[in-house]
Amino acid sequence: MRSVPIVHLTQIDYVVMAVYFVVVLGVGWLLRHVMRTSTDFFLSGRSLPPWVTGLAFISANLGAQEVIGMGASGAKYGIATSHFYWVGAIPAMVFVGLFMMPFYYGSRARSVPEYLKLRFDEKTRTLNAVSFAVMTIFSSGISMYAMGKLFNLLLGWSFDVSVLVSAAIVLAYVLLGGLTSAIYNEVLQFFLIVFGFAPLVWLGMRAVGGWDGLVARLGEVATARGLPADAYTHAWQTMGNAAQNPVGVEWFGLVMGLGFVLSFGYWCTDFLVVQRAMAADSMTAARRTPLIAAVPKMLFPFLVILPGMIALVLGAAHGAGQGLIPAKLSAAGTPLVDSAGRVVLDYDLATPMMLVRLFPSGMLGVGLTALLASFMSGMAGNVTAFNTVWTYDIYQSHIRRGASDAHYLWMGRAATVGGIALSVGAAYVAGAFNNIMDLLQLVFAFVNAPLFATFALGMFWRRTTGHGAFVGLLAGTIGAAVHHGLTLPAGAPVGVKGGYLAVLHVYPSELAQTFWTAIVAWVTCVVVTILVSLATRPRPDEELRGLVYALTPRPSERELRWLERPWVLGAAVLVLTAALNFVFF
Amino acid sequence: MSGATGIDVRYPIGALFTVLGLILAGYGLATASDTARYEPSLSVNINLWWGLVMLAFGVVLLLLAWRSRAASADRPAEETPEGRLTEQREHVLGLEKD
Repeated sequence: MRSVPIVHLTQIDYVVMAVYFVVVLGVGWLLRHVMRTSTDFFLSGRSLPPWVTGLAFISANLGAQEVIGMGASGAKYGIATSHFYWVGAIPAMVFVGLFMMPFYYGSRARSVPEYLKLRFDEKTRTLNAVSFAVMTIFSSGISMYAMGKLFNLLLGWSFDVSVLVSAAIVLAYVLLGGLTSAIYNEVLQFFLIVFGFAPLVWLGMRAVGGWDGLVARLGEVATARGLPADAYTHAWQTMGNAAQNPVGVEWFGLVMGLGFVLSFGYWCTDFLVVQRAMAADSMTAARRTPLIAAVPKMLFPFLVILPGMIALVLGAAHGAGQGLIPAKLSAAGTPLVDSAGRVVLDYDLATPMMLVRLFPSGMLGVGLTALLASFMSGMAGNVTAFNTVWTYDIYQSHIRRGASDAHYLWMGRAATVGGIALSVGAAYVAGAFNNIMDLLQLVFAFVNAPLFATFALGMFWRRTTGHGAFVGLLAGTIGAAVHHGLTLPAGAPVGVKGGYLAVLHVYPSELAQTFWTAIVAWVTCVVVTILVSLATRPRPDEELRGLVYALTPRPSERELRWLERPWVLGAAVLVLTAALNFVFF
Repeated sequence: MSGATGIDVRYPIGALFTVLGLILAGYGLATASDTARYEPSLSVNINLWWGLVMLAFGVVLLLLAWRSRAASADRPAEETPEGRLTEQREHVLGLEKD
């Protein structure tokens, strides 16, 4: 680890951070008496208003890795990164709110795996619960590792101290206030990110001469890299051909792989986000949760992608196509160079470098606190999802049934401690064995890709059986692994990037391979689930009421004011998103 | 048994932004004559101006929370139809003993 920090903080920055810590711990302290039952602890007593659950829904996903990663992608791919929002999130968020929330909330399931138990059977639930639990621990660990590394590089903080202190603070407020504490801190973090990054974008845009200045400067970078001049500033124009755009994907793979399979798989089935909607105080509030979340999500590209794009063209070195972004260093401390002889940039530093270069002390404290807050609330989000799935779907259904509610509340607290301890362990594993983490993330991608097929068939086709769902999920995961093993992104060596079975096809980029792997997994899961379902005995209709579309009464919207109706809200969000795509076409 | 949420989330958020806004704007005011300090932020005293924006936001949230303190009374789960159904279900399925 490098010992010379990029910037030194002053007293005022530490004061800002300290104020934030006091408020975070204070919220947990004030909530401590409210956590009387397991429903309070795991589902906030289902009592939160939709704007709170909506902002938490979006913040649980807006971890610091997202802020840093989307800034990095902004520098790498330009405005096309907005596809991860306008294609890869909004449609799925509208869908889960309008069509799937009636089953999640209406079935009274306390978690996503529990819905699978109600709709299918115990084995499908357990498969989903165990893979989800392992995944949340590791993603929490990976994000802790990223935080420790970033703050070490940027500020010279000790890795151990940043990981352990943030883990201790998260532990304290989740133990005290359960899911409510986590959700309140997510709402807090949402506003911190907005207030920490809006002035960054404003200053950055001023520095490059507004949008026109940014277009002109990024045009030079694109031309220098052999791409059309508007490759970084138009989202769709160069999407016809994977070789013509910096993303390296063609539109069909993008829309089907990212926009349909991966996005619906995440937003519609991941308990981390769905749990926030389940904490809402009514069915309408639960349905409006993802729709309300979609409004800021639609606008986030301007907050998190633009800083990365600006970082690429700001400062003395902007002619060289490097901007503020430092080179990636090898273990020996020398800049890394790729096969074409170009310096490899450390894109993850794009957004942090913007903070450091444009903010004076004071405002810098606010920007870094926002980053710290999103790291911590990301961790808290994972931990609250983990303790619920562990307690309800693994402990209560396999280890100890029929105990008192007080016992499960105690178990939830114990699982919080255990989950955080395991995440800290995972953070150190991530530091010591980078390859293991790459491999694990690959396995998670295989497990996640087919999920939406199982849920969609389960909710909308009553003939789907438990055996069909279970075998289909496994087949989809295997399908993903086989496809990945038979293909390779251009220029990558055979190994963790694919091609370990044989190389039948070479994709123009890793993203293109990821998107197509997801498509293959999804199709495999659909076909196998249908075939096995047709060959096995379906459950009688009476058992499926409230769990399947055809056997569930539509929630009435008539008593609501028109602006509060989920359908109106969903349609408005889709129209605005389409308009944004059109403006940046 | 399910319970209430306890506090309106707008109080802690409003408090945080009010305090941060005061600190930032005060610091900006104290350092306003130091032009070299604000060169990186394009000679804009971002501490002062953005501090005032944050302060205004914090105060508005506190006012909103204070005004609606009666209207946003807690709604325990037993008082909503959905909440009652959950409680029932937990007993029917034998998920809870008491």
